Amino acid sequence: MTMHRAPRALLCALCVLVADAASAAAGAKPSRIASLNLAADEVLAEILPLERLVGVTALVDEKGTSNALGRVPASVPRFPKADLERLLSVRPDLVIVSEYTDADFLELLEQSGVRHHRMKGLASLRGIRLAVLDLGEAVGEPEGARRLVARFDATLATLEARLRGAARPRVLYWAGGLTAGGGTAIGALVECGGGTNVGAQMGLVGIEPVGAERAYAAAPDRILVGEGWESAEALRRHPLLSKLAAIREGRLVTMPTELLVALNHHSAAACWDLAHRLHPDRVPAQLP
Amino acid sequence: MTDERRRRLTFVALAAVLPVCTAAAIALGSVSLPLGGIASSVTAALGIGTSSLEPVGETILWAVRLPRVLLAAVVGGGLAVVGACLQSVFRNPMADAGLLGVSGGAALGAVLAVRLGWASEVFLALTLAAFAGAMGAVLAVYALAHAAGRPSLHGLLLTGLAVSALAGAGTSVLLVATDEFRVKTVIFWLAGGLEGRGLVHLRLASAFVLAGCALLALMSRPLDVLSLGTEEAAALGLAVSRTRLVILGLAALVAGACTAVAGSVPFVGLVAPHALRPLVGPRGRHLLPAAFLGGAVLVVLADLLSRATSSRVDLPLGALTAFVGAPYFLLALRHGGSRA
Repeated sequence: MTMHRAPRALLCALCVLVADAASAAAGAKPSRIASLNLAADEVLAEILPLERLVGVTALVDEKGTSNALGRVPASVPRFPKADLERLLSVRPDLVIVSEYTDADFLELLEQSGVRHHRMKGLASLRGIRLAVLDLGEAVGEPEGARRLVARFDATLATLEARLRGAARPRVLYWAGGLTAGGGTAIGALVECGGGTNVGAQMGLVGIEPVGAERAYAAAPDRILVGEGWESAEALRRHPLLSKLAAIREGRLVTMPTELLVALNHHSAAACWDLAHRLHPDRVPAQLP
Repeated sequence: MTDERRRRLTFVALAAVLPVCTAAAIALGSVSLPLGGIASSVTAALGIGTSSLEPVGETILWAVRLPRVLLAAVVGGGLAVVGACLQSVFRNPMADAGLLGVSGGAALGAVLAVRLGWASEVFLALTLAAFAGAMGAVLAVYALAHAAGRPSLHGLLLTGLAVSALAGAGTSVLLVATDEFRVKTVIFWLAGGLEGRGLVHLRLASAFVLAGCALLALMSRPLDVLSLGTEEAAALGLAVSRTRLVILGLAALVAGACTAVAGSVPFVGLVAPHALRPLVGPRGRHLLPAAFLGGAVLVVLADLLSRATSSRVDLPLGALTAFVGAPYFLLALRHGGSRA
């Protein structure tokens, strides 16, 4: 019983001390920021003095996934997963986590005296815009975040002007039998890139499985896949989907995967890239 | 060597190995803590002297490492005791908590919590949903098996398999329909592990596991009688159905609590009792405590390996126990086969 209470008392005392220190510093910029979210890594790499970055996800170095390749020095620890011990060892005062991070993990993080910020609401371009601004506020770099968002807004405004009045092809996103319905970032990307999201037309919400027969019956004008997922090859070999006009006539849209999965200011570049592939007559390859 | 001497030596060895493994597991990990520093921190917590650990080390020790290592011991011990009990009840050396639908039900509950977003929003939601799933599956097994009157052991076994298969199908359906980002949380849980588990999880699991194991240990005599067979046990005056129900209920509670906090940790309930039975004998009053200690050692070491290598390679706890357990069983099978 004594053994049980004593560690508890010490832990409480530790947490109080850490919490006091944290509240004293609450007004100050966090000086040691660790990120467990790739979208945040990519934002932080652009707005944060790198000496304040004490951890990023291992995905930041992954070609075909990261939009911040080579931007974070190798001296910054990489986290392949949410390893609390390693995370605490880099002494962060703020940890950026994703919308899906386990609540139990966050509770333990709080108990260890470390604040966290969730990057959330990334299922729409408006949500992504707000999330970048929120992240900027959380890390004490609102100006940097506003700069990124201004660029994001300008790109989307130019794109909207260029696509005004254009016919919108019906685009089906395909990733190994899954598609994007309404309320998804990829659905928003399709709409913003000048297409109509077939998944949303089917009444799907979220990333959902769509059977081959259903996909065939939907007869999309274009099919959107990510590079390197072998989706294009799988579609061309598929006994039913290979018979789709979009496949037979080569109307498969293959996007760089790092843009397809971007959930931050890079989403504007993703929209631009898709718009160029869908409307090459209206949208040049290069961003303005 | 006499049986009694072998038994005593086994208990002495287990009682010595567990604290050594626990100390090693507390000291080692992705961040090493010096043993002297740990000792000073513990004595400081008891009001003697001051800790020589740095504040980061103190936080890692008390908030993360110590609860996790103790939880590993509790989970390992609990699963091993459940395995030993079920092997006696079913008179089958391959019996474990999966037969009661615990693993399948817990997985279904966990996946549901992730799919609905509870796991990321509500503290303990994943654990409680997994526990509810485990208990729901056990109740379903009980209700279905009793629907056609008093069931035989085979009836219970087959009902358990059917309910597990149904839960597995439900899990698959939910997994396929779950956001790819959320799926990773489920995969980590399904692969078994103690990442992100702290004092609250330790308290919750200990309450069920330690109390359940103590009650099962108190039932070791009826358990021995049950292992003789239903007719023999009834002939010896045992209320077979009631006793079996109590033992299975306690085993389900213990296994449900273990699975809820640690996910799927296979083979512990098979390996620990199987390895220790020849050393301490089949009687419950010896086998259950020995299995608890053996299971605790196994999971503490597996979790240590999982943590120590986490910066280089992802080795989930459940995969590690399977890596140890499966070859052990193949070897045991070969050994048994050559003797036959």
